[in-house]
Amino acid sequence: MKFRYAMVCSSNQNRSMEAHCLLKKQGFHVSSYGTGTHVKLPGPSLREPNVYDFGTPYKLMFDDLRRKDPDLYKRNGILPMLKRNLSVKLAPQRWQDNAADGYFDIVFTFEEKVFDMVLEDLHNRDQVLLKSVLVINLEVKDNHEEAAVGARLAFDLCEQIEAVESWEDSIDDILTSFENKHRRKLMYSISFY
Amino acid sequence: MNPVSREKLASLSNSVKFATDLGPKLELCRQLKRDLLEEDAAALSEFLSHIFDLYSDPSGPVRKLATEIIGEIGVKHLEFVPEIAPFLITVLEDATPAVARQSISCSIDLFRHTLEKTAIQGLHSSELDSDLESSWSWMLKLKEKIYSIAFQPGSGGVKLVALKFVEAVILLYTPNPNGSSEPPPNEGTPIEFNISWLHGRHPFLNVGDLSIEASQRLVLLLDQLRFPTVKSLTTSVIVVLINSLSAIAKKRPAYYGRILPVLLSLDPPSFVIKEVHVYGANNALKNALLSCLQCSHPSAAPWRDRLLGALKDMEAGGLAEVALNQVHKVNGSVEDEKDHSSVIKEEKPMTKACDAAGSNVGRKRSGTEDSSGLAETGDVSGKRVRSTPSVSEESTKELNRNTSMSQGDISSAQSTTRKVDVDTGPVQQLVAMFGALVAQGEKAVGSLGILISSISADLLAEVVMANMRNLPPTHSHTDADDELLEDMCIVGSNTQAKYPPSFLVDVVSLSSTFPPIAALLNSQQSVPNEIVIQKTEVGEEVDVMAGPNSTVAYAGMAHEAENALLPGMEKIDVPTPSDIQDVGNLESGIPGLDSSFHYDGLSDAQAASSLVSTDLEDTSQEQGTSFGGKSPLHVLPSISIERSEELSPKAAVNDSSGVVSSTATSVVSSHPFVLPKMSAPVVNLSDDQKDDVQKLAYIRIIEAYKQIAVAGGSQVRSSLLAYLGVELPSELDLHKLLRDHILSDYINHEGHELTLRVLYRLFGEAEEESDFFSCTTAASAYETFLLAVAETLRDTFPPSDKSLSKLLGEAPCLPKSVLNLLECLCSPGISEKAEESQSGDRVTQGLSTVWSLILLRPPIRDVCLKIALQSAVHHLEEVRMKAIRLVANKLYPLPSISQQIEDFAREMLLSAVNIDAAEITDAEGLIIESHKDSELEKPSHEHQSVSSTGKDISAIFHQSETSQSGSSPSVPEAQRCMSLYFALCTKKHSLFGQIFIVYSSASKAVKQAIHRHIPILVRTMGLSSDLLEIISDPPTGSENLLMQVLQTLTEGTVPSAELIFTIKKLFDSKLKDVEILVPVLPFLPGDEVLLLFPYLVNLPLDKFQAALTRLLQGSSQSGPVLSPAEVLIAIHGIDPERDGIPLKKVTDACNACFEQRHIFTQQILAKVLNQLVEQIPLPLLFMRTVLQAIGAFPGLVGFIMEILSRLVSKQIWKYPKLWVGFLKCAFLTKPQSFSVLLQLPPPQLENALNRTAALKAPLVAHASQENIRTSLPRSVLAVLGLSPESQPSSQVQTSQAHTGDTNNSEKDAVAEISKESSGAS
Repeated sequence: MKFRYAMVCSSNQNRSMEAHCLLKKQGFHVSSYGTGTHVKLPGPSLREPNVYDFGTPYKLMFDDLRRKDPDLYKRNGILPMLKRNLSVKLAPQRWQDNAADGYFDIVFTFEEKVFDMVLEDLHNRDQVLLKSVLVINLEVKDNHEEAAVGARLAFDLCEQIEAVESWEDSIDDILTSFENKHRRKLMYSISFY
Repeated sequence: MNPVSREKLASLSNSVKFATDLGPKLELCRQLKRDLLEEDAAALSEFLSHIFDLYSDPSGPVRKLATEIIGEIGVKHLEFVPEIAPFLITVLEDATPAVARQSISCSIDLFRHTLEKTAIQGLHSSELDSDLESSWSWMLKLKEKIYSIAFQPGSGGVKLVALKFVEAVILLYTPNPNGSSEPPPNEGTPIEFNISWLHGRHPFLNVGDLSIEASQRLVLLLDQLRFPTVKSLTTSVIVVLINSLSAIAKKRPAYYGRILPVLLSLDPPSFVIKEVHVYGANNALKNALLSCLQCSHPSAAPWRDRLLGALKDMEAGGLAEVALNQVHKVNGSVEDEKDHSSVIKEEKPMTKACDAAGSNVGRKRSGTEDSSGLAETGDVSGKRVRSTPSVSEESTKELNRNTSMSQGDISSAQSTTRKVDVDTGPVQQLVAMFGALVAQGEKAVGSLGILISSISADLLAEVVMANMRNLPPTHSHTDADDELLEDMCIVGSNTQAKYPPSFLVDVVSLSSTFPPIAALLNSQQSVPNEIVIQKTEVGEEVDVMAGPNSTVAYAGMAHEAENALLPGMEKIDVPTPSDIQDVGNLESGIPGLDSSFHYDGLSDAQAASSLVSTDLEDTSQEQGTSFGGKSPLHVLPSISIERSEELSPKAAVNDSSGVVSSTATSVVSSHPFVLPKMSAPVVNLSDDQKDDVQKLAYIRIIEAYKQIAVAGGSQVRSSLLAYLGVELPSELDLHKLLRDHILSDYINHEGHELTLRVLYRLFGEAEEESDFFSCTTAASAYETFLLAVAETLRDTFPPSDKSLSKLLGEAPCLPKSVLNLLECLCSPGISEKAEESQSGDRVTQGLSTVWSLILLRPPIRDVCLKIALQSAVHHLEEVRMKAIRLVANKLYPLPSISQQIEDFAREMLLSAVNIDAAEITDAEGLIIESHKDSELEKPSHEHQSVSSTGKDISAIFHQSETSQSGSSPSVPEAQRCMSLYFALCTKKHSLFGQIFIVYSSASKAVKQAIHRHIPILVRTMGLSSDLLEIISDPPTGSENLLMQVLQTLTEGTVPSAELIFTIKKLFDSKLKDVEILVPVLPFLPGDEVLLLFPYLVNLPLDKFQAALTRLLQGSSQSGPVLSPAEVLIAIHGIDPERDGIPLKKVTDACNACFEQRHIFTQQILAKVLNQLVEQIPLPLLFMRTVLQAIGAFPGLVGFIMEILSRLVSKQIWKYPKLWVGFLKCAFLTKPQSFSVLLQLPPPQLENALNRTAALKAPLVAHASQENIRTSLPRSVLAVLGLSPESQPSSQVQTSQAHTGDTNNSEKDAVAEISKESSGAS
């Protein structure tokens, strides 16, 4: 695996973690991030969402929610999701604060808003390394089922990108064939570190 | 270098060279890199060649790493550049793109560092050391090489990085307006390099030349994006180009005018050949334009409208609104920043900004100083404006702070003129001219200056006024709003610092207009007065506003005057920003504006003490701190005041021209405009209060809508109502209010339309690609709303109403709970027991809804079908029959679902048959399902969970019910399961076969249920080829069923020839049971029936009787097949031995006939006996029948005597069995039979008398009668013992001999008769 990957969604809980988990299992060098300001999870009602800061360990959230209402959070899939997440890494990380994690070669986002935020953030950084980074947006709806589908698609795409010598030369072809195969629209941009 | 490390490095580099595996090799390389970078220059110089050697490695990653190492060494030790640069140039040609890219990456670092070092060294000394010079020249070569890669046609990863390199060089070569214009005092400071440090005093780096080169390269970059070159580029190159250009535009606003036209003229769909990625480039372009839009630099301003337009075009449709909002927001903040932050926050621009207004400053200062003597009128301002450029230059020179004069000028000029670009008045042309000039960028500076100085002040004012429209229309920045809200308090509270400047101004102006209030305010607080003091700075207008305050004001003025003298230059700088506005307003500056600027100035430029009087200091500082870092934002209110002034610019102009130029005058002029503000004091509400207010407001709106129906136009309005209800914070539960409104009068309030609008809105929210959280909540809101409306519709409307069906048919989607509702409707009793009472009409309603849903909503067809099917096996027959009618008549004909229906029906049929196991598991399945349901529903609604628990209970109840009957299902239970299948059979006859198959293994109850159904079923079906086929080959065990089917088929109608043929064939081939022929017997020809007769007789008695009836009745058309006489004769024609039928069966058959006396009458019997007696041989049962006939009809005795005498003549004694019967008959019919007996020949008579001794005496007595005795022959008399002695001996002998013959058989016959008589009696 020659590239470093980053999976980014808004809360670093569902979509990015699903993909992170899958790619990690497949032996990819992968990290995951969220672009939101907080990690927000559904609560018992609209008035009471569960809001955490980035960096709060998944385990802590898991224990917290299990204490609050095990039935509810089990039923809506939050607890299982957190359990999966805590097996992948310690805590949700924020994309905007990831400068210390080094550069990535390929960044996957799962929502156009996130895509724009990642690009904006990359443009705002000092681009001194001149290391190109490919940012691909794959629209995935934020629910458990779609996240699983999205993760598999991302994995598929990663494999194809790994297979070529340099993505810079063939990215258009790869994405076109991917789009034709899966009937999914992709968007990409190139930025630099 | 110490030998140890040298040794180590040497071995390390060797092991790298000789390592074979890529992994360890790379690891060694990294190790080497770490070690090398710690070494000093001397050591490195030795090792450089080793590393160059590494580059000869065949594997790409190693070469890449080697390049990286060399690059880093170069950055650290620039003296190696002359060696490294040629190396990097060779690496650029590397076959592996990654290595070549690495080379460019290293180059840019190296280039930046070399340039920086060269520049800084040149600043400090006029001579550069030769090493550096050669390094620089090598770097230039390297740069040219990379340029050639960047601009060569084609694509690829290397080109992308090369383009980025070009961007970096352009940025390095051009001055950064935001950076420091002075080099850092000591070289170590990490500060971004800025070419403007050079100031043209570098030995060989010429700022101008570098700029020219940069702009040439920029042209090349731009050319790539121009048509038709752009067509040959790949998307990735385009994306990189767009990003680079927008970055340059943002960082070097001077190039705005050159870059934006190109970006704006880009039309992705037309240039991207691979269409699939149009939107990739599109998106890049959009983002680029957006980021350009966000640029705060003044030179960006003229482009804003075009950018907006372009963005709107790009995001046609749904995104347009979002973009607009975004842009508005952006716009607002840009305005702020441009107006103020760029002026205030950055020291340099601020001073630049002063330029335009510099003259004002000067003038005003002088005006202030010798205010008493100054009596300038209108032309003062005119002069001031005209003199602006020159004076400004003077003043800036004086200040001697601005090192890049020209730029400062531009920015200030632009910041004043940028507002010109939209205009409707006579100044249009001028505005356009300004716009054109500004768009040209730097080049037009001179012309701009000339233009500004050449037009009259009034005209310029008009231009600026016209341009005011570009100011943000509202306080669009929410932060600012919040800030304001927090800051505002009700008058009278004592937190002075909370008052925003504009508010204070209001108070001031108010106090000057209404002295009593002012007095009041005065007594309560000092702040406004102090502000007043400040406002009255110059004192000329004190009279106007003085009133009761005058003394204070005067005092303040005096104070202020003192202050004014104190601060000197610094002080004058600070207030100048406000004077930019003054240029436009012709001195009609607003105090609020001024004061806020002062505060900004204070907090940012830290000139507080120099400006404000000591009294004010506290306040200002407090304000300064409370505004915190947001000082540019809180200027907004004053801008809005300015806008209000815009409404009557003329008045303002007149005002200001009429009075001496001073900021104080504006206090007066602003009265009329700011006064209204006072009437709407802002009250701080707690969250709860806000909620209440919103709620109340909404209730009012809803109430108002109740009248709207009359007024009309509800179409548009209801959409508004729905929008409001959903859009307001969902915590308020406005949905409920809306729902109540809808449901209070569903029909008159256009409930359906309104509900749908709300639902679609909620649905859209739920489906929107947003975070997890809002998705789930919106979905649950949707569900609650729909469910509540649906429930109410169900409960309040009559069953015949179609609203529910319509609603469910048109709602965007149906969540599970709603389907459950439907299910309860269709299968009452599933959930609440209370619903049991609901009428069948509700079921019909539910079912018709389900039907329409199945037709209208293919995605949920399966679920709906399931509901209907569930209802079709409902335990209440009424419900079941309704559902079955729907399923069989309406749904089953639909080809897409017929198979499913069939499968379900079959399953149910089988479940009924496979009693024990199936029943129980079925019930359990139901339980599990309902558990699952209830679990899913619980979160959505409390009511829901109640109903689901109800369902649980009922399910348990249901289970107990079924498990009780599980072991042997009752007939109703079997019917419950099978009705649907039977109904389907009528639609598809071939299904009927399954019932035959099932039948054999079915339990008694099931069979019973089947039999109950069959008549209706078969009658409905009629005879079809499918049915015939089934009949022709029935599975074993289904005979009874077959019988019933046949019976039904033949009942009341004439069976078709095919049917008869089929049955006969079946009888002949497979099924030897004659029973199946019974139903068709009446339709068979008589001779065939006679052939079959033995079989019929062989049937169980009851069946024989039935068959007999049929035969005798026959069909309505053809009449009876056989006459009763024929039947009896046929029975007697059966030979038990020959036909293999027990005698008993035959006698039974006879008996059966005799039982039906109304058919087998005396006459018929006589007729039959007459015929039988003629038969030879006599039928076996003949005598038995005779005996029975006498028993049944005693009147027949005479006839029987005749028969008997005929028998005597037929020598009946020769048939031993019949002989016995004869004797018995004779005995029974005595005395009538005596005459017949006496006809017997004497031996037979003797035999008879011996056998039945009881006959002898009466017979002798009878014979003794005179008239008879004489007629009798002697031999007979001898037998009777009435003759003389001699004769009897011989008689006895012969008779003895004769009787000896028949002795045995006679005994048998007697025994038989006695037996028979006992059986017959």
